[in-house]
This record gives sequence, C-alpha cells and structure tokens, in this order.
Amino acid sequence: MKRTFSFVVMVLFLFASLVACSSSESGSSKGENGEDIVEINFFHRWPNEPRKSFYDQKIKEYMEANPNVKINVDAVLNDSYKEKIRVLVSSDNLPHVFSSWSNSFAENLVSSNRIMDLNSLLEEDKEWSGNIIESQFEGFTFDDVTYGVPFTIDGKVFFYNKEIFEKHNLQAPSSYDEFIKVLDSLQAAGYDTPLVEGLTNAWAISHYMGTIFQRVLDPGVTAVDYNAKTGEFTDPGYIKGLEIFEELTSYMGDISTAIDHETARNMFGNGEIPIVYMQFAEIKLVENIGGVDFGFFNFPAVAGGKGDPDALTGAPEGWMLSKDAPKEAVDFLKFLTSKETAYEFTKTDGQLNAIKGGVDEGNTSPASFEAYEIVLSASSPAPWFDNAVNINIADIFMRGGQSLATGQTTPQDIMKDVQERAARLKNE
Amino acid sequence: MSILFLLPSVVILATFVFIPLIQNFYYSLYDFSVFSQTKTWVGLDNFKVLLSDKVVQTALANNFKYAIISVFFQVAIALVLAYILEDKIFRRVAPFFRVVYFMPVMISISVIALLFGFIYNPQMGLLNSFLDLIGLGEYGKPWLGNSTSAIYAVIAMSQWQSIGFIMVIFIVAIQKIPKELYEAAEMDGAGKVRRFFSVTVPQVREAIFVNTLITITGSMLVFNEPYILTNGGPGFSSITMAVHMYQEGFVKDNMGYASTLAIVIFILTAILALIQIRLSGTGKDE
Repeated sequence: MKRTFSFVVMVLFLFASLVACSSSESGSSKGENGEDIVEINFFHRWPNEPRKSFYDQKIKEYMEANPNVKINVDAVLNDSYKEKIRVLVSSDNLPHVFSSWSNSFAENLVSSNRIMDLNSLLEEDKEWSGNIIESQFEGFTFDDVTYGVPFTIDGKVFFYNKEIFEKHNLQAPSSYDEFIKVLDSLQAAGYDTPLVEGLTNAWAISHYMGTIFQRVLDPGVTAVDYNAKTGEFTDPGYIKGLEIFEELTSYMGDISTAIDHETARNMFGNGEIPIVYMQFAEIKLVENIGGVDFGFFNFPAVAGGKGDPDALTGAPEGWMLSKDAPKEAVDFLKFLTSKETAYEFTKTDGQLNAIKGGVDEGNTSPASFEAYEIVLSASSPAPWFDNAVNINIADIFMRGGQSLATGQTTPQDIMKDVQERAARLKNE
Repeated sequence: MSILFLLPSVVILATFVFIPLIQNFYYSLYDFSVFSQTKTWVGLDNFKVLLSDKVVQTALANNFKYAIISVFFQVAIALVLAYILEDKIFRRVAPFFRVVYFMPVMISISVIALLFGFIYNPQMGLLNSFLDLIGLGEYGKPWLGNSTSAIYAVIAMSQWQSIGFIMVIFIVAIQKIPKELYEAAEMDGAGKVRRFFSVTVPQVREAIFVNTLITITGSMLVFNEPYILTNGGPGFSSITMAVHMYQEGFVKDNMGYASTLAIVIFILTAILALIQIRLSGTGKDE
C-alpha cells in the first residue's frame, strides 16, 4: 500500500512538473530586501549591433531608475522573429512588450485577442502620445482601436554610388526605361552586376514586388486583391510587374540567390556595386563601412503604370503590449518612446524615428536628414508587401521571385499559383 | 502491482508522444490560425489540398534524395571507414581518425551550417576557391543559390556531419566480431576485401539494419540543415517535408494543414520502419 502511494505521489509530481514547465506566467519575485520585483518580458528583433547594445543600455538605465522592475530581454532577427512571435502567441506566452511591423502583421497579432487596446492609454497621457507623429499610427489602428505605438519610420529607395555615376557620366533615372539604360551603361563599363540584392532574404524580394506592383497597378485593383476576402490577382499588371522584377534580376548575376541582403549592402558599402535597393534605416550601416559617397533615387516611374509614381515604400515599426502587461510595462514602453530615448536612438543607430523632435540635424548625418524629409514629404506611403497581403500570397511571390531569378519558373506560372491560393483564401 | 513500475514511462510517453499524436490527427480535420481562438471544421479538405500540393511533391523527392544519398554515405561508406580503422595496419592512428570523424557530430548544427555557408559562399567560399586552385574554376557556382545544386549542397553537409556517428556504431559492432572468424578466413586465403564481404558484413547485419533505419527515418524528418542553410530555397528547390510543415504552420499560419503534413511524415516513417523490420528479420532467433 505504501509503495502504491509512493508511485501515485511520484506520478502526480511528474504531472505537476510538466504543468509547471508549460506555465507562461512571469509574475513577480522578491528582491534582496524582500521587496516585490515586477518582471517584464521584453522581446525585440535586433540581436545585431548597434541596436542590441542600445536596448541593453536602455534596459539597464530603466532598471536602475526603477529598482522594483526586472526586465528579461530576448532578441531574434527579422524572419526568425516573425516565426517566434507566432509561436509565442499560439502558446499564450506573449511577452509584455514587443516589437511589431504595422499593417497585416500587426492585424494578425491583434486577431489573437491577446494584444492590449491602447486607446485609453493614449488618451490619458497626451503629453506622451501627442509627441508621436499622428499619421504613423495608421498601420497599428484597426476598427478605430490603436494597438501599437509607432517608433521607427522608414523608406525604401535605390542607393547609388555617386562617384561611379559621375565617372561614367550617368544621372539618377526618373523612369524605368532610363533605369534600364543606366544599368546597361554600367554593365558596358565593366560592372557585371550593376545591381545586386540578397535574394536569400525573402523579405527583400517582397520589397521589390510591393513597389513594382504599386507603380504598375491601379490602386483600386491592389486594394481589392490585397484583401484576402476579395483578392483574385487576375489583372495583367501583375505579370508585367513580375517581368520587371525578372528583368532586374538579370542584372544581379547568379550570386544574388546565394547571398543575403547584408552581403549586398556590404558590397555597395565597399564600392563594388553601383546600385542597391535599400532602406533609409541602412544609411548609418553604409556610412559605417565608409568610403562611399552615395545618393538616393526612388523606384522610377513605369511607363503606362497606374499607381502613384512618387509613392514611397516603407511603413513604421513600433511596440505592442500584451493584454496582461503590468503597469510597469506600460511605463517602460513610454520610456522607450520618449523624446529623449528616440533622439539618442537615432543618434546611435541611424534609423529615423516617429517621435516629434526625435530627429534633427544634430543627431543625423546629412544623408539621414535628407531621408527624413523624403519620408515626411512622400506623396503617399506604400506598405511593405509581405505585411500588405496575406502571408500565403506573399510567400508565393517571394519564393517565385527566387525561382524567377534562377530561371526555374515564369511570371505566368507564379500568377497561376497566386490565383489558386487567392481563390482558396476567399473561401476560408 | 508490477504495472505501477511501468506507470512513469507510460505517463511520459503518453504526454510527449501519444497524446500529441492523437491531437495532431484531430487538428488535421480543422482549419485554424495561431492567432485565432476558433477552429473551423474542414473534414478531409486538408488532405485534398495535400494531394494537389506541388511543394509536397518537391519535398518528398528531396527527402528521398536525402535518404538514398545518406544510406550510401552514412551506411556503406561509414562501414568501409570503420573496417579500415579497425584494421591492424591502422591500429596506431585509428584513435586519432576516430576523433576526427566523430568531431562534427558534437558540433551544433547551427555552427556547422554557418561553416558550410562560408564554404559554399559564391564570392570567397572555400569550395569555389579550391576549384579555382586546381584549375576547375569553371565548375564553381553559387552552390546554395542554384536551384539544381542547392539540395545536394545541403545533403553533402549532412553527410559530413553524420558519417562519424554511424561509423562509431559500426566500429563497436566490428569489435564484437570473434577474431577466430577473421583468422579462419585468412587461413583459407581470403584477402582483406573478401574478408570484409564474407565476415564483416554478415556479422554486422544488425548494425547495418539499425544504421539504415536511423538514416532513412532521419532523412524523412530532416529539418535543421535545409532550414538553416537555404530555408528550402531558392524557390522550393531544397525544401523537405519537415521544413514545409514548419513553414505552413509557423510562417503561413495554416496550422490545420501543417498537422496534415505531419501525419504524412509520421505515416511515411512508420511504413519505412515496418518494411525494414520485416526485411531485415532482426530480433528473430537465428
């Protein structure tokens, strides 16, 4: 009987351990002097420098100023972040404060019902919320409820090497046909790959596709197609857009499908490549490599294109709070998005921020400040494509883009797959 | 009373294997997202989608390529290596080579993937530089960026990492073979090659079976290598079933369909294991 009891106790203990293992509460603990310590789980997507160190420093500063708070930080890069945050949502293990893209990415997270509604928070503290550029909230607001605080702003343009352009008597192109002439001239001048992209990064392909489709297609068409409930993707403009992307990859050489975007950026920074499609967020990274005098030009207008030729691809990123986040997490978020933090952030990292007074000539390089003015004066913003459409559609385009670059598929085949998937999504 | 002794392992197995397995079958009949709280009943629709999924065909083909190449390298070549290292001539250097061959097994797959990323780098990779050095520069290519070569580049990395582990199992099996058998074969005039086929291979049959089973089921489940090196790309050219399942679930948010893919992987590995058990006749009294 005793033995039986022991075994039953052991089994129950085993179960208890398993249950404990799956517990997601971070809760609080006791400090050295017996005071309550509130633990905040903070998750962002920059394990790389300089941003990692910046956030580590900010965490340290916050914890020194608030000894009753302990911040547990975790960081993984871009695509891995997208996957991990999904896993955390599905296992009800969402961190208290975490970074998020805007538009469909944010909307997906919101649909989990695990994200904090920030309306009252923004209303209560106007001193803080009024300091954030209002237009940037759009990508985090769904059905009149705001779920995210925008922090960084960005734009995607072609960076070009001024020295190479001057040497070969070339101008920044204003139309797609001129752009092709520029690429041909550079090839004739000995640059086998005048344009390079790290096509192993699916998101980099999506940035191209999103911009090209925005230039080529009628905004009314994309508005319908980018909605999973109404999308059909039957407009011939998509084929034309994919043909444009295919043509551009023909200038990238066969290394592009084997390198990542960082490598492409470094090649540009080292003066090896004349043109790379990059985000303003990368200005400082290029400047840090040193030695390249660069300028920008927006993706040029496409002949017969029905979209705004001056639109700028780029959308803000920001912070979200989980529904169960303690008030200390809210306070930490306010600290992260304060004018002081934002100003220092741009000075350290180079990326532009969405906080009023957070960017001026004192904390940016001339190139960054020029970028800031371009972003604020853009005729219209175009969201990142992989956040604008359903991920199942984006994935076909992104992988299709890789296959186009390696000559394994055709624009028609890609669109056939997209149309099939879109039809299925409509019925789901 | 004695059934209680089995209880802890039954509980652990049920918690981590059987219940998730049953849950997975249940989930495959639904369409749901990690973000939503509701599941939509779709019955066998996910299985219908699977039958027309072109990516599944590519993934299965890649898994079978993995299995065939792995059986050759990790079973056949590893057995030959083990036999050579156990030969009297190599007795002195064998410990050194055993360590050298086993070393990759102990290194994290992420580190190895990073290392092979450098080896395969199209600009300054060791492989292309080596080909240049020996005058075969024209055969150099962006190994991971080419739809034809990507899967083979990934498979090659796996062979390099796993061959040592399989070899060690064979070494243990060879050491258990009675010396008299080799002596008798030698007296009958059998050379090293003949001894290998007539003594070693039949005597390590159990180990061959175990290693083949490990290798083939491992090939059907392979995830880390293609995921880290190529993420299944370019396009879907180096995708495997496990990567496809993961991406459907955690990238594209089709959890029901990902469960369906998991069932396919489970059925495949179970069938292969059963076939091998039947064919090898292991476990039966001689």
